[in-house]
Formats: sequence, structure tokens, C-alpha cells
Amino acid sequence: MRRSMLVRKVLLAMAAVLLVAGGAALAADTPRKGGVIRVGNLGEPPALDAHWTTASITETLTNHIYEGLYSLDSANKPIPMLAESVAISKDGLVYTFKLRQGVKFHNGKEMTSEDVVASLARWGKQSVYGKALFAQVADWKALDKYTTEMKLKEKSAIVLISLAVPNNFGAIYPKEIAERFPPEQKVTEYIGTGPFKLAEWKPDQYIRMVRFDDYKSRNEKPNGYGGGKAAYVDEIRWIPVPEVATRVAQVETGELDFADDLNLDSYDRLKKNANARPIVSKPYYWLVAVMNKKEGLMMNQKLRQAWQAAIDIEPIMKNVAGGRAEFYRMDSSLAPVEISAWYTKLTGLPWNEHNKDKAKRLLQEAGYKKEPIRFMTTQEYKWMYDFALLTKQQLEDIGFNIDLQVVDWATLVKRRNNPKEYDVFTTGIGAFYDPTHAVFLTPSWPGWTTDEDIQRIQSELARETDPKKRMALWEQQTRQFYEKVPVIRYGDLFGLRAARNTVKDFNEKTERVRFYNVWLEK
Amino acid sequence: MGPYLVRRLFAVLPVLAVVVTVVFLLIHLIPGDPVSVMLGPDATPTQIEATRQSLGLNRPLWEQLLGFYGRVLTGDLGQSYFLDRPVSRALWERAEPTLMLMLCALVVAVAIGVPSGTIAAAHRGSAWDRGLMMVSLLGVCIPGFWLSLNFIYFFAVRLGWLPAAGYVSIFTDPVAGLRYMVLPAFSLGFNQSALIARISRSCMLEVLQQDYIRTARAKGLSQRVVTWVHAFRNALVPVVTVIGITTAVLIGGAVVTEIVFNIPGLGRLIISAILRRDYPVVQGVVLVTATVYVLINLGVDLLYALIDPRIRYE
Amino acid sequence: MSEAAVDVLVSPGPAAAPSTRPRWLRRLIGNHSVVAGALILLVFVLAALLAGVLSTHNPTRLAPASRLLPPGPGHILGTDEFGRDIWSLVLYGSRISLLVGVTTMLLTSIGGIVVGLVAGYSRRLDTVVMRVMDGLMAFPAILLAIALMAVRGPGVWNVIFALSIVYMPRTAMLIRSTVLSIRELDYIQAARALGREDAAIAVRHILPNCVGPLLVQGSFVFAYAILAEAILGFLGVGVPPYVPSWGNVIASGKNVIREAFWVSLFPGVALTLAGLSLNLLGDGLRDLLDPRLRVQ
Repeated sequence: MRRSMLVRKVLLAMAAVLLVAGGAALAADTPRKGGVIRVGNLGEPPALDAHWTTASITETLTNHIYEGLYSLDSANKPIPMLAESVAISKDGLVYTFKLRQGVKFHNGKEMTSEDVVASLARWGKQSVYGKALFAQVADWKALDKYTTEMKLKEKSAIVLISLAVPNNFGAIYPKEIAERFPPEQKVTEYIGTGPFKLAEWKPDQYIRMVRFDDYKSRNEKPNGYGGGKAAYVDEIRWIPVPEVATRVAQVETGELDFADDLNLDSYDRLKKNANARPIVSKPYYWLVAVMNKKEGLMMNQKLRQAWQAAIDIEPIMKNVAGGRAEFYRMDSSLAPVEISAWYTKLTGLPWNEHNKDKAKRLLQEAGYKKEPIRFMTTQEYKWMYDFALLTKQQLEDIGFNIDLQVVDWATLVKRRNNPKEYDVFTTGIGAFYDPTHAVFLTPSWPGWTTDEDIQRIQSELARETDPKKRMALWEQQTRQFYEKVPVIRYGDLFGLRAARNTVKDFNEKTERVRFYNVWLEK
Repeated sequence: MGPYLVRRLFAVLPVLAVVVTVVFLLIHLIPGDPVSVMLGPDATPTQIEATRQSLGLNRPLWEQLLGFYGRVLTGDLGQSYFLDRPVSRALWERAEPTLMLMLCALVVAVAIGVPSGTIAAAHRGSAWDRGLMMVSLLGVCIPGFWLSLNFIYFFAVRLGWLPAAGYVSIFTDPVAGLRYMVLPAFSLGFNQSALIARISRSCMLEVLQQDYIRTARAKGLSQRVVTWVHAFRNALVPVVTVIGITTAVLIGGAVVTEIVFNIPGLGRLIISAILRRDYPVVQGVVLVTATVYVLINLGVDLLYALIDPRIRYE
Repeated sequence: MSEAAVDVLVSPGPAAAPSTRPRWLRRLIGNHSVVAGALILLVFVLAALLAGVLSTHNPTRLAPASRLLPPGPGHILGTDEFGRDIWSLVLYGSRISLLVGVTTMLLTSIGGIVVGLVAGYSRRLDTVVMRVMDGLMAFPAILLAIALMAVRGPGVWNVIFALSIVYMPRTAMLIRSTVLSIRELDYIQAARALGREDAAIAVRHILPNCVGPLLVQGSFVFAYAILAEAILGFLGVGVPPYVPSWGNVIASGKNVIREAFWVSLFPGVALTLAGLSLNLLGDGLRDLLDPRLRVQ
């Protein structure tokens, strides 16, 4: 066994040498194997267990190690990944998934239906999306080695999309691991089917992922997050660099090959750099002020409407975007234009009215008497603090009294679960690929959107399977959103990344970075 | 001397107990919750409760504290909530960068401080003296974290001479390791060098007035020999103790320096642990730092007692 | 960090015998360090008091249209990323710095006197109190301050509270050792023999002797409190970030240091000068009040 590995390694090395030797003659655009790509990111993941947390850094990292049954294509629609195909019964209640054969885990074991059933059961207990789906699932079992069958309690529109979302996703682990670690306990053995496997994790120093030589790629071309995946680089080294200014500097000097989440002020400088290039990432977030509708002042709908009517979004976005038009977009659709399936083009919505008289009138109707409104934000995400501070000034100019509370992120996410501790908090709404995944419209997410009319449409959206009717419902929901104002939608903010020019074939279109199919020149 | 040493060593224990208790209570009083950070912003209350239970965070505070004491006595610092490894291992991994930073900063501080203090004293009242003392006074007052920013701006960004931030172990790549260390070591060591310069100068001055120096001079020895051979050695005594204290002070300074220069040492570990509410790690770092701090101070006291027999072993 | 200024430069030894007034005054004015330090400090006090008059803009008013302007006619020291005027921010920042510095100095002195006297007088309490003080001093001050700030949340008074707790033990130790050395002196023994009560002796005879070391210690605590406030602000755990303070402005400047160096430069200069004035003052006072350490 060991010997054949060695032989294979030698052969591979020889092949690589030949490739490199021949590469000089070939066009510069031919992917080349080898090299270590050093990627600077925000910080440490709380876990490398995809089922366990929605943290976006965990999402980015785990998607290189694990795969799910489905993935998203470049139009953000579900396409099969570990699944080969699906057959849906006429009544829409039974889904039969065929799995791809010969897919290996990093430990050498072949992936089978048992692993899928065990993993998804765990995911269904812990993940935000998994729980939403499993609320509709009656039974999910293995029929044979490569076939699983899922039975639903009611018709569902969200089966495939839930299996495809990259965040908090239904990663397939070996059965033994999925069963050894109960859902509330994070996995500490990292075995997946992805093109990279975890080699070493030194907190705050680096996470090393190396090529998985036995990776079985799909035959299709790369497509969005899915399709064929090739690990060209020998190693991805994720280096946490919490200081944003440092991350930029290190790409410029070549200490990093790639850096994510940069400050927008550095865009011009990166553009001038001969060895690196800026990459604008869309979508990033739309900025949002989430209202506490369970307790306190903001239960008052008129007060929420006053806030919505008062704010002048463009100057806020411009300041947050470092004064640059490239980095923000004024848009009222709840899904960003990149998620074309759910993008709405409604007019006449009371968004960005900056109508002081209307706002003052609404304040009066709300019976507001300058009570302090506790507005919670954090500096750990600088854009949150920035838009909160600018909002405070605009609102106070028309008679609001804003008590801006700047706390650390840990405190914010704790406090926002307690309706007694705040009135409004800041966050960002990232891409969601189905209306039912819009957390700000759910009654369980902080802010607690319990409004009956909103909930009625949400549950209809979960059951309705006709795409046209679903879109109509979504448009109706959007109009309702701007009337009931569960949260305040600001503009779309884009992110900034930077890559050295030696980094080739990086997919700039996806929300989060992926380094399969990426190769290094030289 | 022997019993004195034993007594002093035993006196360290209650101090550490106080430290651990204070920090344990402090960190648990901080609002915010490790579980919310771990599970991500969208976790539901039931999930959070389940995880709290599995970490033992729902037990009464005093029970957690007693448990912590018990484990510490057996040498177990617990398991990090966040880093997926025992605290002792996390500490061990982070010790090298911090020790290296402190060592380099100390070298910088002494290499600049002692000669300039000695030169200033030897040429008392001259332009050298006044200039050096002016610079060192300024050196004491410049905030280290602000100095770091300016260093990065000039030497890394503007001139491109040195890396802006990061850390490479000297053991894997000595040249790169040293290059990464230059700016942090100078930012951290500069304040201390100014301090050491001032102390060395006054100690030298005191010694230079002693009778035996006058005698040496009267014997016709050159000024240089008198300064560097006779006086310097004797002035070194208090300076050594200052260097000891400096080492202890550097532990605090290292926290901020590590953050500005993104050095994965103990300082950054404890700050991120506080932000993530990773209680076991915070307690572990504090316990270890406090132990080192106390031991250094003890060492300084002993050294002093050894050098200057007039100090009573009370 | 010049934390060592607090730890090292202060001699725990006894103060000089009280001197007569005219000589004291003459020496004070004759001491260049004290005069220079006091003058610079006076400038900051005036800046803080007259911030409303001297500032050209409202330091908290955001003006997105004029963000990151370089120093020039409209804004003599430029603007920050929210278009706030740096000159006005630095002026108002001196208010926070002085408030934190002075209050921390007073609180540590009061706390230090009480704790130090208790420990110096009562053999039984001495051990307990000193162990707690040792414990508080046994790890880096800035770490303790950060932890305290994390508990209490951002705010000027929380900063003052945290720094007072952190620096009080040093003052307490100083007072205690002064008490210990004085109480054996003949005239105190005489006072006791005459039947004076301990408290009366403490106030009448011992406290006046502590004034010198306290003044010296106080000026260094003042200096370090200003520095520590800036560090806490820089780390994002000090006064709320929208309050104009030097540390906050430096922190906001660090992200744009390459595009706009002026944001962090000027508050840093102010911070250095303030530290300089207090160190000069402290050095000078020590030379005057503690002849043992006086160096020609």
C-alpha cells in the first residue's frame, strides 16, 4: 500500500516536471500544478464543522474540504455535486437520489448512501437550513449502496436549494464521524470528499490544506460553486491577519498571494500596483438595521416607518464605501441582482425617501417622546459601525434620540437574542438563494418577525412549487416588507479582495472565495 | 538565604490564587457568551442551550471555579472552547513568538540604553549628555503603539525595507525570522531603552563620584579605562535589576505590539480569547503570565539581595 | 509602552524632611524640568478649557462630503474618514485625556492612601491586603485594564474606574512603605508616647510626609493614565469610538495611514507631548523632593 503510494507520488512528480518543462512552450494560460497559495483572511473559524455554524469563515474553509449532495451553479441554482441525479414522484412527496460512484473520502473509504443519511440527519438537527428542510421531512433512508430516498410530509419547494446552499451546508461526512459527534458538539475529525484535505490547523497562525490526490472530480466544466473541481495548487495556506491595513500591505509586498475583506480606501492603491489587482466582490451584504419587534419602542410600526422615511441612504453608503461608487449600489430588491431568480423590480416602494416631513409626521403619530432608542453595533465589522454612526446623525436631526452602543461582536450576538437588551442592531444580509432562507423574515431570528401576514406568505412560499406563483408571492412579500418594516434595508455594499497577478483563474463571481481551479503562475 | 528563598517561593502561591480568582470572576462577568460566537449569529436559543450544557457552562459559577482549581492542581488547564485543543497546547504553541519578541526587545533596549547612559554620564554636562538625555526623555514618552504604526508606515510601506507584519519562526528560516522581528523589537524595546539609559546614567554618575574611582584616576589611569572598567562594572548592578523589571514590563507591552504586528503570540491569544469569551484560554494565559511575572520579580529581588548584602532577608 | 515609568522611576523610599517654604518655592522655579513640564501641561489645560473657542468645527459632526482631506486652509490638520476636523478632534480629545488623567490620579491617591495606611498600621490586615495588591500587580496592567473594560463596557468613567483599580496598588505600596519607615522615627514614637491616637498621628504627622512621594507618583500615574486611555481606545475597548479622544482618532487613522497619515499623526504628537510634560514634571519634582535621588 505504502509502496504503491510512493510509486504514484514519484510518477506524479515526474509528470509535474514534464508539465513544467513543457509548460514553457505552451500558452501561458494553461493551468499549472504546484505551489502554495497564501490567503489572508479575517481570523479564526469557530469550527471546521459545516453543520455546526453559520459563520461565513467556516463556510469558506469547509467548502474546500467537504461537499454536499448539491451545489450552486453560476446562476445560483442547484446542480448536483455528490448526487448523480434525482427522481421526484408525481405527488412531489418522494425524492430518490442516486449518488455518484467511486467517490472517496480523505481516509480512503468510498462514500455511500449510509454516509449521506447519517450526515444529513445530523445536519437536519443543527443547521439553520437543515432544520428548515427537516421540518418537512418524514423519513430519509438508504435504499442501496448508491441510492437514498427522502419522504416528505407535505409538498416542498426548498429541497434541492436547501441541499445546495454553501452556508451551514449539508456536508457529507463518513458515517462513523457523523454518528460519533452529536449535533451540538463540533466535529474535530475533518474527513470529507473535497479536492483539499486538512493538513494542519495552528490557530491564529495558519490552516494548511493540501491537495487530495484521490479526488474524483465531476466531468463538467467548473460552474459557479459546482461542476468540475481541480486542485492545482499543492497547498492552500489560510493565514489569519485580523488587521485590515496589514492584510492589504502584505498582498502589496507579496507576503500574501490573496487577501479577503479589505478596506475600500485601498482600492486606488491596489489598482496602481503592478503586481497585484483589486477584485470587487458582489454581492457582499446589504446593510440592515434590525428592529426588536418583541419588546420595547420599536414594536411601534409607525416608529419603524419613521426611521425608514427619514434616512438618506446614498451619502451613508458612499461614506461606508470609502467615497467610491464602485463599492455600493442603491437597490430596494430584497435579493441582490446577482441572485437573478429572486430579484424584484418593483417601483413606488417607500425606500430611501429621505422625506423629513413624512418622518416627523410619523414620529408624531407614533407618540414618540424622545425616549432613547438603544442602537447596538460593533467595530469588529467596521462598515456596521460606520453606517450606524451616520444613521444616528441623520435620525437625530429630525428628532430621534439614539443611544448608540458600540460593543464587541461576541456581546452583540449574545445580546441580540435577548429582547430586553436592545431596540435595534446592525448587521449585514448576505446572499440568500431562496425566499424561505431570508432570516430577517423568520420569527425565530433576533428581531423576531412574527407578523401574521408576513408569516402566511413565508409558509406559502415553502409549499408552493410553481416558480411563477412563487415569484408573485415574493413580490407581494416585498411590498409588505416596506409597509411593515421588520428591518430597515439600506443599500448594497460590495467587498474588496486583492490577488497577486500570479494567481490565475480565480472565480470573481462567487460570494465567497474558492481556490479549487485556481493555479499559480511561474 | 535558603529559608528566605523558600519563604518567598511559598508567598507566590497565594498571589497566584488571588490572580486566578479575580480573573475567573472578571471573565465570567463580561457580558457575551462563547456559545453565541461559536455557533454563529443565526443559532437558535435551543441550540445555544444544548451547547452550553455540553460545555458545562450552565453549572453554578463557584462549581466551575472549584473545578478549575482542581484541574490546575493536576496540571490540567482545560480545553479551549474555540481552538479545538487543550489550553496547555495552545499556550505552548504561542510561547515562542512572545519569548522571541521579548528577547529581541530586551536586546534592543540594553544595546541602546546601557551605552548611551554610560556615554552621557562619562561626558556629564556636555552636548552629548544633553542630547542623549533629551532623546531618552522623548523615548520614554512616545507611545509604543503609535511608534509601531509610524515604523510600519515608514520602513515597511514607504521604504519597503522590512515586512509590515507577521511572524516567521527563527528556527524555520533564520533570516526571514529576524527581518520580521526588527520592527516589533524596536517599537517595543525603544521605550525601555530610554528608561535604561536614564537609569544607567544616574548609576554611573553615582559610581563616578566614589572614592575608589578618584583613586583610580589619581593613579593616572585614562578616563576611558576608569569609565568602562572600574565604574561601569559597579554601575551595572542596579541596571541589571532594572533590566529584570523591564522584562516583566515587556510582557504587558508585548500584548499591544503583537496586535499591531500580527504576531501570533500569547498577547494576541489572550485578546482574541477575551473577544471570543474563550474562558479556559483567558484563565490559562493569565495564570502563566502571572507566574512568569511573579517569578521574574522574585528573581530580581533575589539578585538584588545577592548583590547588595545590606538588604535584609525579612 | 512606558509602563515602566510607573514601576521603576518612583523610589519607594522615605521623603525628605519638610523644607521651609521660600526655599521650596525658589527651588521649584529654579528647576527647569518642573517649569518646562508645567508650561506644556498648562498649554494642554488651556486647550481643553478653550476647546469650544479654539476649535474650527464641531468635532462630532460627520461630514461625508469632506472625508480624508489633507491639512490645508479649510482644515488645518485635515479631516478623518467621516469628514471630522482633526484639529478640533485633538482639542476636544485633550479634555478626555486630562479628565481621565486627573481623575485617575486623584482616585489612585485616595485609594492608595487608605489602603496604604491600613496596611502600614495594622499588622494583621497588612498580610491580606498586600497579598491582594500583589495579586493585582502580578500581571500586566494593560491586560487587567482590558479585562475590566470588557466587563463594564465602553465609557469614560469605566476607563477611569479600570485604570484606578490597575494603578492603585502601586500607590498603596508606596504609602505603606513610607508609613513603615516613618512610624519608627523618634518624633512619631514621641507623639504616641504622649497619648495621641493613631488616626490623629496618621493625619498630623505621617500624611504630610507622604505628600512628596505622592506628588511624584501622581504625575507618573497621570502620564500613564493618559497613555493607557489611548491604548484602550486604540484597541477599541476605551471610551466609545464616536467620542473624540486621542486613542480613538489614532485607531481610526491606522486603517487609512497610507492614504491619510495625518489622521493618526497629530493626536499621536499630542499624546507624546502630554506624556513629556508629565514626565518632566515628575522627574523635576522627584529631584526636588527626594534629594537622595537627585543627580547633578
